[in-house]
Amino acid sequence: MATRPTATRKTAKGEYIETDSGNKVSRKANISGTPNITLGGKTVIMADVHLRGDLTRPKAATPDPKGAKQSSTSISIGRCTVVSTGTVIRPPGRMSRGVYTYYPMKIGDNVFVGPNCVIQAASISSHVHISENCVLQPLCVIKENVKILPHTVVPANMVVPPNSVVGGRPGRIVGEVGEGYGVSVGAVAGGSGEGWVEGGDLRELVRIIK
Amino acid sequence: MSQQFPYTYYSCSCVDTPTSLLPLSRKSVEARSSSDEEETTFDPRSSRANFSLYPLEHLLYCTECHQMRCSRCTTEEVLCWYCPSCLFEVPSSTVRSEGNRCTRSCYNCPICTSFLTVNLLDAPTEAQRDAEQPPGPFILSCSYCNWTSLDIGIKFDKANNITGQLQRVRNGGIIVPTPKERENQAERLLRKQPNHEEEEEVKSPLEETPAAQAPPDADDFFSNLNSFYKSQLADTETSAGPAEFNVHSPSSIQRLLNLYSTGKKTKRGKPKPMRESLTTAEGLQEYSSSSEEELIHRLATSGWEATTSPSQRSFQERHPPRFTSDLRPTATLLRTKRSKRCKTCRTLLSRPEPKVNTTRYKIKVLALNNIPKVSIRSLNTTPQSLLTDLVTISSSMQQKEYTTLHPLMPYQFLLTLTNPLFDPIKVTLATPTTTPGRVQTRVTILCPQFDVGANTDVWDDALNSTSSQNNPKRKSAAPGLSVASPPDNSDGKQAEAGKIWDKGRNWTSVIVEVVPGVLPGTPAFVGEGGEVREDEGVVECPVFVKVEYESEGLGAGETPERVRMVGEGKEKREVAFWCVLGVGKIVG
Ligand SMILES: [Zn+2]
Ligand SMILES: [Zn+2]
Ligand SMILES: [Zn+2]
Ligand SMILES: [Zn+2]
Repeated sequence: MATRPTATRKTAKGEYIETDSGNKVSRKANISGTPNITLGGKTVIMADVHLRGDLTRPKAATPDPKGAKQSSTSISIGRCTVVSTGTVIRPPGRMSRGVYTYYPMKIGDNVFVGPNCVIQAASISSHVHISENCVLQPLCVIKENVKILPHTVVPANMVVPPNSVVGGRPGRIVGEVGEGYGVSVGAVAGGSGEGWVEGGDLRELVRIIK
Repeated sequence: MSQQFPYTYYSCSCVDTPTSLLPLSRKSVEARSSSDEEETTFDPRSSRANFSLYPLEHLLYCTECHQMRCSRCTTEEVLCWYCPSCLFEVPSSTVRSEGNRCTRSCYNCPICTSFLTVNLLDAPTEAQRDAEQPPGPFILSCSYCNWTSLDIGIKFDKANNITGQLQRVRNGGIIVPTPKERENQAERLLRKQPNHEEEEEVKSPLEETPAAQAPPDADDFFSNLNSFYKSQLADTETSAGPAEFNVHSPSSIQRLLNLYSTGKKTKRGKPKPMRESLTTAEGLQEYSSSSEEELIHRLATSGWEATTSPSQRSFQERHPPRFTSDLRPTATLLRTKRSKRCKTCRTLLSRPEPKVNTTRYKIKVLALNNIPKVSIRSLNTTPQSLLTDLVTISSSMQQKEYTTLHPLMPYQFLLTLTNPLFDPIKVTLATPTTTPGRVQTRVTILCPQFDVGANTDVWDDALNSTSSQNNPKRKSAAPGLSVASPPDNSDGKQAEAGKIWDKGRNWTSVIVEVVPGVLPGTPAFVGEGGEVREDEGVVECPVFVKVEYESEGLGAGETPERVRMVGEGKEKREVAFWCVLGVGKIVG
């Protein structure tokens, strides 16, 4: 936030390296293939998180300028997304025409990924809350406003429709999030004691991480 | 997985808890008579409580009745049907004719319920790899438990229209007519013999198919019985008789058939008693000792592994089988988007946009925006420790603040009320001195009456905070959120009776003192001992919240005793509800 320049300077010396766009990346995070990763701004990558940007689509034998451009990004994460400690983010792969191929992964805005998860989803839309110790198997698709309960294993290729709650091993749709999911009282600074809610705007959470 | 502490559940007003419905066992009556004087104390442990407690984000609010509304006191209307797998919307006419399952190629694993994918059976050769449509055969396979349709002997020629292909193949790859074909055949037979006196001549549609050699399965019996009853009804159509209402009467069978047929309305049959089916071709399922013996033999040889679990049986579309080899992949159940109305006054409370992929609402009246939010947390937790709990690996360490409450030790919790309204509110809290039940936890709210400021515009707040930035005593935007200022309790602040702890723009915090009770079975326990029942160690404090405020008059539908004019177009309003604070768990 523009009104807190002091806080920004402080974090520069702390655990997090803050980029120009406000991303906070822990010095203890494990990042491979940095050129293939994009962070949308105000996004937090915590300690012991492993981003596998090195797992990219193999370079096409036939020169295809469009394809080459697409394959350059393997992990793209949106704005105000928080990836908690110990989580591994790995682009999904599968056999395609006889070759094991990695597909780029897209994570939206205001997504919370809890500690100790393994994420291999094809895409995670915005306002998704993933609790701790979850496994998202290759090529699953998580739509908007979804809550994933702790210790869930979302099976490969599963599509989780918007507004659902997923739990269990294998993960099933166990319910719907309430109409008030992600709505905080009084927008930025609700008196909830946290200033942010699951599935809501995570700016406040990002701000207090340092 | 246990509940995460702390939590607040709101009791919806639709559930009255009259004393007669509280548990009336002798023990609880004793406990109650010694503790609460008020008869209407909400008991979070009563079996009715389960049905009225909701997290705030699940509650709606009726602006006509001025009451919160839960799933019990709202009515729902389906706006659209869609498949959760392929996210295609299904028109309601299709739902009526085809049923509530996806008719594309969406199937769930009969073993583990995961989504099944259509895969090539054999790895494609170099030449096939580049072909637009690789040749079959294809199989359905589950990447979670490695079940494939080969386990029940089914392969597919095409990768699309799995539903159509599955309809004509029985487990083991036996080709059978589809339900539609069977029906048509049965009807053709009926038309051929409009007055068939000789029942023996009625041929089962099954006998004309290659599947005739295989023993008939439940689907065959159904279609045979279906066509038999239809022929019987056709017979009785012409003759008239008195109405009868037993099982064998044509009218009741007609009703039954209409239940199973899809949309086709036939004229109500003239009542005349009919005979029942007599042969297998007519759908009679005969008992045979040999098939029983075969079953027992199968159980003995294939063992436990080959039998289905109750959940697998209930997950089947129909005909729950005994053996896993008889399971069928299940078509994905459709889901719905629904609008909700108040049951009392029919006001629309929520209406999502009927598109599958959007999460927007046309109308959404949330309790969240109309009644104060009650939240509780341990006084010892700082925002930083809350954060660490949330994002670090040590999930076993998480929650320790709440899950290790010792009996008879005082604990202080911070109770915060946040006001979503644009008017300041006056709050009165009440709680029974001890919690209901055998484990009597003492609960004291140090300051039960206080004011909470109005919820001003966010930008006002932002501007205020900028101008007062140099003021060290400036009120933080959210309780405990001001990381720049020292944590709440580091300056040696002491809890004082009758005084609020802290307040901000639209929130006020007070201290709640909790002295956990003694668990049964421990030496200090007074009263009838015995085992600790499930969740008896969980401390849940019922709290009654009364909110009073003056608001711009909205008029319509007001109940006179609740609203009284205060002049200047302002109305005095009162909202009251019970909520339950889950503060933690007692260790023995
Ligand atoms: Zn209700
Ligand atoms: Zn589908
Ligand atoms: Zn499976
Ligand atoms: Zn109403």
